[in-house]
Amino acid sequence: MRMRPSSIFALILVLLLGVDLVLVAQSLLPDQTGELNEVLTYELGLSDLCLSTEARYTRHLSISDTTAPFMDHPAALEHFPSGSFYGIVQ
Amino acid sequence: MSVDFQKQLNILDYGLASLWRRKTKNLSVILVFALVIFLLSSFQFLTGALTGFAEKTLRFAPEITVQHMVAGRQEQIPVAYGQTLKKIFGIRRVEPRVWGYHFSSVTGANITIWGLSSFAPSLQHTLLSGTMPSSETMGAVVLGQGVVRDLNLQGRRKFSLFRSDLTQKTFSVSGEFKPESELLTADLMLMSIADSRDFFKMSPEFATDLVVTVANPAEIDTIARKIADLLPGTRVVTRPQIQQTYNVVFGWRSGFGSVCLLTCLAAFIILAWDKASGMTPEEKREIGILKLLGWQTSDILAVRFYEGIAVSLLALILGCTLGYIHIVLFEGVLFRPLMFGWSVLTPHLNLTPVIHLTDILLITCFSILPYLAATVIPTWRAASVAPDSAMR
Repeated sequence: MRMRPSSIFALILVLLLGVDLVLVAQSLLPDQTGELNEVLTYELGLSDLCLSTEARYTRHLSISDTTAPFMDHPAALEHFPSGSFYGIVQ
Repeated sequence: MSVDFQKQLNILDYGLASLWRRKTKNLSVILVFALVIFLLSSFQFLTGALTGFAEKTLRFAPEITVQHMVAGRQEQIPVAYGQTLKKIFGIRRVEPRVWGYHFSSVTGANITIWGLSSFAPSLQHTLLSGTMPSSETMGAVVLGQGVVRDLNLQGRRKFSLFRSDLTQKTFSVSGEFKPESELLTADLMLMSIADSRDFFKMSPEFATDLVVTVANPAEIDTIARKIADLLPGTRVVTRPQIQQTYNVVFGWRSGFGSVCLLTCLAAFIILAWDKASGMTPEEKREIGILKLLGWQTSDILAVRFYEGIAVSLLALILGCTLGYIHIVLFEGVLFRPLMFGWSVLTPHLNLTPVIHLTDILLITCFSILPYLAATVIPTWRAASVAPDSAMR
């Protein structure tokens, strides 16, 4: 028996949503690393995530000046690529 | 099965069969559409996961950090400021910190040197191997996984770094942080405060900054204001400010965020423009024939509506699934060059995005709605004319 186009379409959607369901179910597994990172933040007094280590103002975003990228010399422009990824902290 | 439902199912079948007749064109549209949604959803999932991680962990960030500013730059802060601060009612503890950066001229890596005055026993659980040194042990360090990769010690426990005056200081590896904490510790070299002071050649009268602990966390802002009044040459950073930072840095207002958003908008505008600027003569003829066969305008609109829904829904699910896989399984590999820039020490991103309904709604608003509007409106215009003129 030939399948209707709508049945084939529904099958494709169900397959894709099935993949999504497996991915989301995996993400809902208990997070073992949360407590570990909280202990580290508290005991070491950390203030920032370690993402970009190319410049001090991208390594420590929250305790750096917004003007830090422009302090290298008079009329300096920011030239580190990761600077474009992070928004401006007001 | 009701007659109405059967009718709608038949219209859906007709629409899907019609899409399949022009499969090359429609599959290309789905592919491009899915790629645009992939970009949008990847960025949304990545920034959402990072913001969530920051929110969870930075609840325990220092309550108040005091930095000394000279000529608009952060400089070493006199430790004696701590005594001045202790006069403020509500401050429980003031602790000087000595930390900074070491640039490795061999590998080009920036290592964060972190001095600690006391090592809490709970820190032992954060280690993959080795032990936490005591604050009296000189030269013992705990390394983040990024530093371990960078130093490439190959089983050796001792290594040396050059101070800024080119004298050498030898360290012994006491332990390594667990890889699960890389988002905090990848570039960290933890040592006693005496070691970091010795490494940076910092005088005992000075520190990098002061960390203030308050008795009542509800008073953080009030005490921060008092500190700023008492020590005018300082910058005071509070825990709420630190938390707020990570709510804004990953927003759509960042350079790359804007690029993602504008790219998607441009793609959809071009698509909508192409669709809205008119239908092909073949499409118009098809509408004419359908009307001659007795189809109502509403039926023709329903066909195009179902076609639009099928294309955009498939592209949406495909794009979002690929975006999720990109972040979770491939650690956002396409964004890494931009997010990390020229960083030599980079962490593994073991992120699990939490899917919020608002994220999906945002992506849907940018994808399905414009596409549906761009598909249905020209059809409505064409279907409103008489069948014979539509065929001509």
